[in-house]
Amino acid sequence: MPKAVAAEYRSVVRKPDDFDAFWNDVLRQASTIPLDAEVVPDPLRSSDDVEVFQVFYTSLDRVRVAAWYCRPSRRAERTPAIMFTPGYQMDPPIPKDWARKGYIALSVAPRGKLRSMRQFNPGYPNLLTHDIVDRHTYAYRGFYVDTWRGVDFLLSRPDVDAARIGVTGSSQGGGLTITTAAMRREVRAAAAGAPYLCGFMDAIELTHTYPYEEINDYLRLHPDRRQAVAETLAYFDGINFADRITCPVVVNIGLRDNVCPPETGYALFNRIAAKDKQLHPYDGHGHEAGRVHHGAVVDRFFAEHLGAAT
Amino acid sequence: MTDARDDWQPTLDELARYPARPDIEVLPLRSTAFATLYGVRLTSLGPYRLFGYLSIPTGSGPFPAIYYAPKYQSVLEIIPQGTANLQRSRYITWSLAGRGQRNADSPYAAMFPGLLTDGIDDARAYVFRGIVADSVRGLEFLLTRPELDPARVVVFGNDLALITAALAPGASHVVTTPALFHDTAALAPKTQAYPLEEINDYLRRFPERIEAVHRTLAGFDLRAFAPRVTATTLLMAGAPGSALDRRALQPLAAALRGPVTVYESQQSSYKDGLYVEEWMAARCGITDVQVILPEHWRA
Repeated sequence: MPKAVAAEYRSVVRKPDDFDAFWNDVLRQASTIPLDAEVVPDPLRSSDDVEVFQVFYTSLDRVRVAAWYCRPSRRAERTPAIMFTPGYQMDPPIPKDWARKGYIALSVAPRGKLRSMRQFNPGYPNLLTHDIVDRHTYAYRGFYVDTWRGVDFLLSRPDVDAARIGVTGSSQGGGLTITTAAMRREVRAAAAGAPYLCGFMDAIELTHTYPYEEINDYLRLHPDRRQAVAETLAYFDGINFADRITCPVVVNIGLRDNVCPPETGYALFNRIAAKDKQLHPYDGHGHEAGRVHHGAVVDRFFAEHLGAAT
Repeated sequence: MTDARDDWQPTLDELARYPARPDIEVLPLRSTAFATLYGVRLTSLGPYRLFGYLSIPTGSGPFPAIYYAPKYQSVLEIIPQGTANLQRSRYITWSLAGRGQRNADSPYAAMFPGLLTDGIDDARAYVFRGIVADSVRGLEFLLTRPELDPARVVVFGNDLALITAALAPGASHVVTTPALFHDTAALAPKTQAYPLEEINDYLRRFPERIEAVHRTLAGFDLRAFAPRVTATTLLMAGAPGSALDRRALQPLAAALRGPVTVYESQQSSYKDGLYVEEWMAARCGITDVQVILPEHWRA
């Protein structure tokens, strides 16, 4: 039998004193850039029950970001919305499944992803360590903002009920769900699976699989940069965002997760400030984090907090 | 169903006219004490220049190898996400980007979704004709490596793993998870999930092309390739009741010429992944598989 995963695991990450100031400055920079959204119907991907659009908007550093936007053909004048955030290596999917459940759905492709890589493309592997010694230029600075701007896009849509916006994703999408819920008070419910980008410096000791192994590769080649790497990552660690989350949250983890160590999932969950929070640890499951069981949990969670879909 | 090898011989002949001319470069960032990683550029049908990651264990060998055939995603991985990096200490690993994937996306950049139907109404122009050739070229290249034990070569992947093993000699073992080309014309209308939803999208938009699309798909159907596969095969089926479950794949399993094991997904990436790692290790003579498992999978 494997060693039991410690539910009380404590992360080594510490929150920098100027964490809030750093991100407030990033948000200030982003706020000066118009969204300049473009919504293009995609008849090839649309069907009788779901209308599909390709979306483009401008984000930090004036990088143009792509997304898929789906809405049920039959919907209320104001419809609840779900933002889907992608995994590390995943090509952002067309979220027709959420639209079929009655939600308007946005699937964001942050910079470097397919369809958003013209101005920024560090590649895979590489994204995780791109400019990792400088928090002001680290790849995830813009990547996070690209996701948060997805909420701005939803708020700009007349068919979206601004009071009923949720966010969800797994793996990197789980980490992005955490940071988005932390930084955007308009998010009313968040469902994060197998959250990545949480406990970076713990994860590189707990596991030796990619993508976290990219950091170990980098430090093997540049051992003198370890402190600089840890300093940067502290600004991007989902655990340090968790105390800003106040909306209802559900988190699922696999206790045999070979990508995102479950210890980091516990550490994250313990730091989430929201009073309404649930953790679902799935024994005998890996990085899919018990999806076969948890899908229905997420559906009920959003139905409860965003209102029943049509 | 016609013999796939006969249908594909012109493509293989055309591929043979383009030498691979590999250009191999050490990648220090991804090299470790136990394995050296190389970036490899090589030529395929077209001519088209491809890219792959080749990892060679430290030591004298010969080593077993895992060939990760082109996947259906834009990203090319060194080894699949979640695989212990120490896998590279026991196996040669070789992962190839087919045309259109990152690092092999110039001049052709694939879209996901989109690749599955690119040129699908004309079998000669269908992009997967080139991708199949790419995958065959990848196996040919791996077999040239002097560190390789040719009796222990696992071709791993989706449909392309099985197709490659059918069209080219050299695979001793195959691990295949059908997803794209098993009875696709019949299965696609029964699902709304990508990638097969791409076929539905396409035919909804171009209904008059249905016969041409079905003709093309028939040329890629795994059941036509199966009689050519003599390698020992692990056929990964979906969970019971899913579109590609054990029952649906039974005709394919029966048509394979070599020994076959059908594994039915338990809908746990841990249980499914552990089974595959242990299956490969047992057949490649790796007795200390625990060492090369991810930390959270070890007993």
